[in-house]
Amino acid sequence: MSLESKKKILVVDDDADFVESVSLFLEHNDFTVLKARDGSQGLKLARMEKPDLILMDVMMNERTEGFFTVQEMRRTPELAATPIFILSALYETQAGFRVKPQSSWLAHDEFVAKPVDMQALLEKIRARLGARQAAGEG
Amino acid sequence: MKILKLPKNKLDFFTSVVQQFGEVHAPVEQNGQFAFQPVRRWSEVRLDYNRTILPPKKYVLPPRETLLQYAGDAGYVPVMEGLDKKIVLFGVHACDVYGLNLLDLVFAGAYRDPYYQARRRNTAIIGIECTPDEHCFCRSMRADFVEQGFDLFLFDIGDYYFTLVGTALGDDMVLATGPLFEPVSHQDVEEYKRRSARKREAFRLHVEIRDLPEIFEMEYSSDIWQGLGERCLSCGSCSMVCPTCYCYEVADEVQLGSREGPRTRTWDSCLFATHALVAGGENFRKARPSRVKFRFYHKQRGFVAEYGRPGCVGCGRCIVACPVKIDVVEVLNQLRSVQNVASR
Repeated sequence: MSLESKKKILVVDDDADFVESVSLFLEHNDFTVLKARDGSQGLKLARMEKPDLILMDVMMNERTEGFFTVQEMRRTPELAATPIFILSALYETQAGFRVKPQSSWLAHDEFVAKPVDMQALLEKIRARLGARQAAGEG
Repeated sequence: MKILKLPKNKLDFFTSVVQQFGEVHAPVEQNGQFAFQPVRRWSEVRLDYNRTILPPKKYVLPPRETLLQYAGDAGYVPVMEGLDKKIVLFGVHACDVYGLNLLDLVFAGAYRDPYYQARRRNTAIIGIECTPDEHCFCRSMRADFVEQGFDLFLFDIGDYYFTLVGTALGDDMVLATGPLFEPVSHQDVEEYKRRSARKREAFRLHVEIRDLPEIFEMEYSSDIWQGLGERCLSCGSCSMVCPTCYCYEVADEVQLGSREGPRTRTWDSCLFATHALVAGGENFRKARPSRVKFRFYHKQRGFVAEYGRPGCVGCGRCIVACPVKIDVVEVLNQLRSVQNVASR
């Protein structure tokens, strides 16, 4: 059994087509994928399933839903250190808007611009989960 | 002071960015009233709120906290956990910022309180302009505008928030958002002035605070205090919701057979029957009228003597919270009218 097959990834996104495509891609690469279509569903699922990594859209029912969901997850002790990658076309639609990936509330996270380069995303996921396992967190 | 403007339709993004500086807390609705709570989603935030049940005081002076642990052998060990937690209070009204500024005078003056100071240091304040309702009299208390005590202060000028940058941290928040903020124009300044004038006219409650210390001095034996004492239930609600009431009780919690435990600090009220009770059973303010009178005197006279301004910000919370409808504005105006009659 490969390293990835043990790992659960939660995808939180209201774009059903994107969820399907990223899920197929990750499953093909031996990850287990959990799917949620909005922040509150994602939060519920994350609390129940404790995924190894979360892919979070930003603009869902609300334009900043992903950001607030991340903050809510960070307040949940068992999710406080779970890596969260923010996947969004935000930088395209909101000219000049940027969040600093090194800022404290995104300490474990990455910002991945949509449209997503799946191969690059996979490498980032593997790097992050590998690093966590090496550090004894995973 | 640096002044910029933020497009209203970017406020949700701005708040997202501000999360970098701490956990964002803002007013949300709770059974028809409002409370500062951690923000779970932007749509919960109610920037049109009139007043929160408790003022932001609860963030810097919690209703109950453990100050230290004591143990027979180890002595006293201060409990400092949580003091370094960064919080961004979003949507604080001017009167409440003023209230925090008054608390600063108390807890950062001659007797510095490290617990209060650590929390205050780690609490960023983003103020927001408001519209007075029937219980607001902050203008009378000179607390409808604050020139300090906030990191950013937002004023509604239509499609934008006219934004005062109060501190270097506020400036960092602006810089962190990239180009969300824009420079203000002459028209923006004019619009701000127009709206400020309109707000000043919207106040329905007025109280003249000039000469109040003198009036209080003269009315120490007034029948007003007896009447208020007969109405007051000593429930302490007015103190609990007051942005500047800071009395607290410290107690060592002891369990039978144990040689260790916590020392806690809990909000107290000068209206409580035991507030002035001392060892030996003596109670300096046993009768309710004397306790009501003490509260009024401390706010309107004692504070002026100590800090040069009254200890009331005119938020109206005590008027709303009082179960027997004791209204501070009515009392102050009544005292003045008694004084005026007597001086004729």
